[in-house]
Amino acid sequence: MTPDNDRQSPRWVDAHLHLLDRQVLDVHGVPIAVVDDLELSDIPAGQEIPRDAPAPTITALLSGPTLATRIFGGRPPKSRMLSTPWVAVREVGVVIKLSVGRDTRDLSWTERWVRDHVIGHIPGGRHTPKGEESDQAQSNDRGGGDS
Amino acid sequence: MIITELLSARVYGPDFLGFVSDVRFSLDTESVGLPARLYGIIVSPHARSSSLGFERSGLRSPWPIAALVRWRHRGSFLVRWADIERIDVNRIQLRPGFECASPELP
Repeated sequence: MTPDNDRQSPRWVDAHLHLLDRQVLDVHGVPIAVVDDLELSDIPAGQEIPRDAPAPTITALLSGPTLATRIFGGRPPKSRMLSTPWVAVREVGVVIKLSVGRDTRDLSWTERWVRDHVIGHIPGGRHTPKGEESDQAQSNDRGGGDS
Repeated sequence: MIITELLSARVYGPDFLGFVSDVRFSLDTESVGLPARLYGIIVSPHARSSSLGFERSGLRSPWPIAALVRWRHRGSFLVRWADIERIDVNRIQLRPGFECASPELP
């Protein structure tokens, strides 16, 4: 077994170890998903790969209903998986931080749908509670707001 | 292709070598968008499951789990992308004369 010499400058991440099952936070630090799978750029499946073929890259983080398939096997259909483009990833660490807000991602569509179609029809459901507004105003009066 | 199609796939050289236990990427932190290129696959001769990183770092504790996982994944090795000849459903064929590298993370 030869030592792995050419691993100097880039950072190394292993899919299982560093990416799968990690929580994804949007630009505001709000959790929006967990990484269930990774989409790779084209790999010629079933064909011989030329020796000088460029290595595939990660193109998207995939999230979806994977609990049942983890227990019973198989994979959820691709149409059920929601993707976040890899270019939106800002940082990979204990969590994966994005450079976009959750409202721009399909991942939170259920939450937005419930907000618009259910919560929004409840009296008082379309504005911030008054208590929070007055708390914020008092905080600003005392000079406690961000300056 | 998605990564779970590669994980647990059977790896063949001249003969059966093992299963893909993980896939390693190089993350270019200097470039915009953090491009992550597939660097290689980690092949475990005995187990399909993840090794939780025990064989890729100096972790030795908790020792019963570390010892068990390291034993299950004994003989694991890294094969670079350039040494992969063909990827089929649940099967990866390596090129003749492929090189095995240490799976340890720097």
